[in-house]
Amino acid sequence: MRHDGLFLILLWRELVLGLRAMRRRDLAWIGLGGGALLAYAIADIVLALHAAAPKLRDDELLWTLGLPLTLAVLGALTGNAVARLCLERAFAPFLKALPLAPGQRRRMAGRATLAIFAPLGVLVAVLVGFACAVIGKPLPAAWGVGAAVLFALGFGTAALWRLRRPRLLLDEAAGEAAPVGRPWLGRLDRARPRWLSSWAWKLPGGHLRPSWKLAAASLMLAVAAILGAWASLAGGTAGPAAVAGLAGGILVFMLSLRCQPVGSPVLRTAPIGFTRVWLRLVQLPLQLSLAFFLLPAGAALAAEPSAWAVPVAGGLWLLVLNGAYAVFGAYFLNAPFVAMLSFASALAYAGYETLEYGRTVLIGLAALVFFLWHRTRQRYRNG
Amino acid sequence: MDEVLAVSGLSAGYRGRAVVRGIDLSLRRGDILGLLGANGSGKSTLIRAITGQIPLLSGSVTVDGVDLAAAPERAKARFGLAIEPHELPAPLSGRQYIELVASIRGCAPNDLPSADLPGGDLLERLELGRWMDRPIAEYSLGTRAKVAIFAALLGWPPLLIFDETLNGLDPVAAWEVKRAITALCASGRHAVIVSTQVVEAVPALCNRAVLMADGSLSRSWDAAQLAEAGGAPGAFEASVMQALRMHAAA
Repeated sequence: MRHDGLFLILLWRELVLGLRAMRRRDLAWIGLGGGALLAYAIADIVLALHAAAPKLRDDELLWTLGLPLTLAVLGALTGNAVARLCLERAFAPFLKALPLAPGQRRRMAGRATLAIFAPLGVLVAVLVGFACAVIGKPLPAAWGVGAAVLFALGFGTAALWRLRRPRLLLDEAAGEAAPVGRPWLGRLDRARPRWLSSWAWKLPGGHLRPSWKLAAASLMLAVAAILGAWASLAGGTAGPAAVAGLAGGILVFMLSLRCQPVGSPVLRTAPIGFTRVWLRLVQLPLQLSLAFFLLPAGAALAAEPSAWAVPVAGGLWLLVLNGAYAVFGAYFLNAPFVAMLSFASALAYAGYETLEYGRTVLIGLAALVFFLWHRTRQRYRNG
Repeated sequence: MDEVLAVSGLSAGYRGRAVVRGIDLSLRRGDILGLLGANGSGKSTLIRAITGQIPLLSGSVTVDGVDLAAAPERAKARFGLAIEPHELPAPLSGRQYIELVASIRGCAPNDLPSADLPGGDLLERLELGRWMDRPIAEYSLGTRAKVAIFAALLGWPPLLIFDETLNGLDPVAAWEVKRAITALCASGRHAVIVSTQVVEAVPALCNRAVLMADGSLSRSWDAAQLAEAGGAPGAFEASVMQALRMHAAA
């Protein structure tokens, strides 16, 4: 095997290995369910585009600013992520002691990034061209190519920026992959405070150590709560504070929940059931979330006492959403960012479909949460 | 050039904090150096510094006449490191990993120092043949160690480094690897560093040994001392324990 295309081969083999590690039944479910959902989504989007075709065709702002900006930002995010994936492999532990110059590693990572871009660029061109054809926009092929060019510009700029700045060429953390650039998403996945999960077990690591980051986060949340409360008190309406309390409360819960212990063999082989473990992990984030909620909710009540049902409903929704996110957090136990993204996507999609089909869609969301709970409990019990 | 490795005044560590300090070490062709020390004594950090995996805080490392700081790639081409088994790329097969290392080193995947090795095909003697086309993720610790050792030999590097790689081997493979190490060094073209926790294996395999404690070299044994210590059962271990006790008392 030549090492020129190493990173592409590594990424491909990692994907294959990941798929092979999954159960066939799960793969079939994902393939069939995902395929059906994708087909439905495409059909839904085509219908929506068709219905809004006259408005979309002549929307100047959309074609001159909205679409180009979206494509460029999307390209930049994708380019950054792909370049980072390739760079991580360029400085993988097993390559560190081999005679490969840093420049050569970057070039190889650059070639792999470019190779991954090619199908993505084609996909963007085809999707935009197809959408233009559906709404009857003249010259759909040209729009497709133009979209691919904009996507490429964003992708290339971000990828070049990332590839030229591999912050650490030498790994200083023994046994860990070399951090490259500013992996803020990775940082979130390994985010402190780790004390939150330790707190549940009353371990020494559970003692809170004050830090500037923690102080800054607390300050921002406090400001948000005060602003929400102030908006309600000034306007004499419960709405703003209730919304601030609900949004801030779920944010506090998501940022503070850490479910890694659910995957620990120490717990899995101990005489303690999954539900008890889960409840103990959820306990403190839930208290923090409710503590945050109390100030805006109190302000909402003071601003409009007759609308007491609004903060009460907000509190109930906060409990429900916290519970649902706690299931997502336990399912994606090692990747809180993926858990947050999946949860937000599920909520957004359910919200979108609710507009069309009403609240019955929420049954589907509840079924998904229950399925994830069931799978997480099975994994805890049987691996 | 007879000197394969020259380490002078080496200090290295993590995030600016020195873990190993003031290391002076010289290895000539034919030397088999046993690197001993308790957990956390700095053995792996020293090997990481020698192989350019962490930056030096001070001092220099010269591999086969090439300064590691001045020409890291040329220096790296002159040693073969059997990496720790868990660092092998799990998605690749053993054969792909070997081919990859060979490609980076610019040699053929079967370019082993065969002339210096006793017996036949090393791949078969290590019983690696049936594993080579399966993903490394499916290997046991010992099989991973065998692949790492095999890859370290590619391209005839004059310096071979085994960082606790021999610990996970089964008796047959351990015997084969020890036989290969002895033969390679007897040829006068190679030198070997064996970092190990198996103290009793050192007198039989090595012709020099050093003991690390608290990040520095606290004692060394030459060939004659090793031969003398290896003569009586348990004598070398007793010697090592005494050195550790003396260091702790100091």
